[in-house]
Amino acid sequence: MLLRKMWRDLSKNKAQFISIFLMSFLGMFVFVGIDAESSGAGESARSYYTEYNLCDLWVMGAGFSDDDARLASKVKGVKDVEKRLSLTGTAEKYDNAYMYVNFMESDNINRLLLYEGEPFDGQRDGFWLEEWFARTNNINIGDPFSVKIDSQKIDGRVRGIVDAPDYVYYVSESDLMYPNYKKCGLVFMAPSMYPDPENIIYNQLIVDVDDDHASDEQVSVIKRKVEDRFDRDDIAVTDRDQNLSFATFDAEVRQHKAMGAMFAVVFVAIALLGIVTTMARVTSGQRIQIGTMKALGFSKAAITLHYVSYGFIISAAGCILGAFTGSLVMPAWILSMFEGSYLIPDLHGDVTGTDIAVTALAILVSTMVSFMSCRKELKDPPAVTLKPPAPKKVRHSGFEKSRLWLRLDFSTQWNIRDVMRNKLRSLMGILGVMGCAMLLVCGFGCFDSIKGLMDKMYGELMTANNKIVLSSDADADYAYDLAVRYRGQMIEEKSVEFVSDTAKKSGSATIVDKGNFIHIQDRKLKPVKLTDKGIAMTSKMAGLLGISQGDHIRWHFVGDDKWQYSRVEQIYRDPSIQGITMKRDVFEDMEYTFAPTAVLTNKSVDPSLSEEDEVSTVLNIEGMKAAFSETMEILNAMVYVMVLAAVLLGVVVLYNLGVLSFVEKTREVATLKVLGFSSPKIRQILQKQNLWLTIIGIIAGLWAGWGMLYVICTTVSDTLDMFPILYFPTYIWSVGGTFLVSVSVNFMFSGKVKNIDMVDALKGVE
Amino acid sequence: MAEKKVLIEFKDVCKKYVQGEHEFYALKDANLSINEGEMVVILGPSGAGKSTLLNLLGGMDSASSGHIFFDGEDLTTYSDNKLTKYRAENVGVVFQFYNLIPTLTAYENVALMRDIKSDTSDPKEALASVGLADHLHQFPSQLSGGEQQRTSIARALAKNPRLLLCDEPTGALDTDTGKEVLKLLQNMSRNRKRTVVMVTHNSFFADIADTVIRVKNGGIRSIEHNDAPKDADEVNW
Repeated sequence: MLLRKMWRDLSKNKAQFISIFLMSFLGMFVFVGIDAESSGAGESARSYYTEYNLCDLWVMGAGFSDDDARLASKVKGVKDVEKRLSLTGTAEKYDNAYMYVNFMESDNINRLLLYEGEPFDGQRDGFWLEEWFARTNNINIGDPFSVKIDSQKIDGRVRGIVDAPDYVYYVSESDLMYPNYKKCGLVFMAPSMYPDPENIIYNQLIVDVDDDHASDEQVSVIKRKVEDRFDRDDIAVTDRDQNLSFATFDAEVRQHKAMGAMFAVVFVAIALLGIVTTMARVTSGQRIQIGTMKALGFSKAAITLHYVSYGFIISAAGCILGAFTGSLVMPAWILSMFEGSYLIPDLHGDVTGTDIAVTALAILVSTMVSFMSCRKELKDPPAVTLKPPAPKKVRHSGFEKSRLWLRLDFSTQWNIRDVMRNKLRSLMGILGVMGCAMLLVCGFGCFDSIKGLMDKMYGELMTANNKIVLSSDADADYAYDLAVRYRGQMIEEKSVEFVSDTAKKSGSATIVDKGNFIHIQDRKLKPVKLTDKGIAMTSKMAGLLGISQGDHIRWHFVGDDKWQYSRVEQIYRDPSIQGITMKRDVFEDMEYTFAPTAVLTNKSVDPSLSEEDEVSTVLNIEGMKAAFSETMEILNAMVYVMVLAAVLLGVVVLYNLGVLSFVEKTREVATLKVLGFSSPKIRQILQKQNLWLTIIGIIAGLWAGWGMLYVICTTVSDTLDMFPILYFPTYIWSVGGTFLVSVSVNFMFSGKVKNIDMVDALKGVE
Repeated sequence: MAEKKVLIEFKDVCKKYVQGEHEFYALKDANLSINEGEMVVILGPSGAGKSTLLNLLGGMDSASSGHIFFDGEDLTTYSDNKLTKYRAENVGVVFQFYNLIPTLTAYENVALMRDIKSDTSDPKEALASVGLADHLHQFPSQLSGGEQQRTSIARALAKNPRLLLCDEPTGALDTDTGKEVLKLLQNMSRNRKRTVVMVTHNSFFADIADTVIRVKNGGIRSIEHNDAPKDADEVNW
């Protein structure tokens, strides 16, 4: 019978219990959804790495012989070592696509995943091409293919379509940040394909350790042993965490987890608040019923169980359903956006023990909270509970004794008292509005920050209207002519690898000739002059490498075996391109030859120029901005989720709150009516309180939104150094949006004032 | 006349409330005994201590000092759990404002007793015995006051309690309906040998009781035995 009572009570308080259900549902939907996605993606990657034997260590240096490989393989704990020559080139036939080229004898380590064609064979001629590149460029098995490395062309036919576990993520020099696997390919071939196979010099040893599940510590022990064994200054040994491909995906997965947790905390907190207020109201409203049940002989435990099961059933239904649908919907959605970013086969969601534990915990906490909120009515003997509750003690606050208080009108006094007496309810209202405003600010702020980032990149740091990107056919003279003709500035952009004591990172180097189109800003975003003395490094890269101004860093250009050990003379901040910048003089002092890759100019560029062989493409500033915004797809999707969640949160919390305060105030409102207050006047009184709470919530939400935006901006990725930016319209939208939600929900309730029947409302309590 | 068995005995029972520095006795040094099967009316003006007496009888409150014996057992030594069990097993309560669970139908309100006691009577029969066979599936809000009170009595009876406590059972009813309720209660004592204790401020009810206990200012003023109680029909107020 108590069960039946519960169902009827639940349906009587539908609105509130549905809102609790929705919040529990959303919380678990997002958390379990994102966690299942990130865990599953992580697991997919792990099993891919294990099955295709991703190497544990990379040894990079100027040249490795068979003896070196043997030397490394004798280190205790090392299972296998393979030699590789890793270079970069271009595929001219395919829009000059940037190519990562690997020569190797075998693929026992970093084994290629074969989609089509024949397995890799170090004795056979031909190319093994990355699958995405092959598919999007419509290249098939048996097709002729060629790749150009330093003006040497290698021709052959495609033998296999593959993926490689050490290349789940890579970017070309011109993309720099967001992968475009159509324009940036990956190709593997036998050493015999090398233009001068007799004199091939390998620049990489890849090392596989004995234990497939070796811990990070075990691997780092072996890493040190390998370093000791070689005892050479010109090599660098790196592990998986220092590897761009591995680390990028790893970071992505971890970011998603953090995002998911953040969302979940917001929703679950709101659900808990909902449970507290609703259960407190239900139990205090049923005080006499509780007393009756006690008098009839129901044990405390039975009554407690009865009321606790309200919270339990609603939150369990919400959490379990949310977890279930979240684990189905979210991974599918997010992982579909991974396509084209990460080359990992069979990405799928995976519900983990954590998900189940967190769901159970959320249910447990909700149940506990409903226990706490109904305990009050249970502790007294039935004789006490049967009587109406003693009126709440109203203490006069210090404020009420002040002169100011006496000057306030009745409605203000009444509202202040009402807020003070219902602190929890008011708090919940503020939090709901705050959450709504926070998510809106953060959501719109993401758009602002991306726009601000673009404005900074293409307007402050790079001020040219056009960028003429040169092809590999262009020589220095050609570039000089262009620079003179267009009064432009020549720059050279190259990929760089940095190795510090703690990390190995890929980045880019920009070498600038005289001109006025490239600017840098210090950490505080103040424009500064580029140092003449040496290299300047971006603050994000410096942070990742764990170095500061004045420290030394070991680095080399990708594809060049000459390592540099330079002092970082200056730290500057760049939102999108992480690496180093130096003047041409500095570059040439290191005995490199300046070979411009682009010319920047403000003059309008003759359209026929892009037809010339020496010119790869001419980019204008608007085109660059558009291309950049395309790369922000995942972030945009998160923003849509946020805005949607904000509105939902606002409506649900405020509606719940409206029901609550309306029910509680019915008698008071009826009394006011009897005393002769008109309905509009009463409405005005009620609106006043909502207005206060909404304003407080919005102000708090603006701050919280800024904080959340800051966290998102600073953790978004290794390569983006975003700064949180909020433009004025964002404030208008967020404040206005929150107000609209708040006011319209409140309007719905205050409209009911008219319908309150004075006589009915003032009759007995039950 | 056969020796009657004493069901309830109060010995020097006090109930004290402390409010800040003020002490206030709702009941002071109460001594009384009630025989099994009797119809007892506790009379007194409001604030006299009637309800306190009833609450103590029903194990709904505990005494500050003194002893309360039920069938020889001292209730004042009971733990909360034992008191709850005592209420569940032995006591039926009829409230002035019925105190039905609004979200349960008449039938369900009575059937609720099955949750706390195993040997309850059939809810249908209990409701039929108070004349509500036709109103089984109506919610309290669909019943008249008298019907609600009869439901409440059916609920109390379904437990087959040894002690039936009634707190102003006719207080919210008109005279005719009130009489019907009184008659029901009197029959409980006369025909089914239940001990019925009724609290009221209406002195006319003294006529139908076997024993009348008068209470005033927290003390028991008199205990009278009525050899020839009137039928409930005959009372007028």
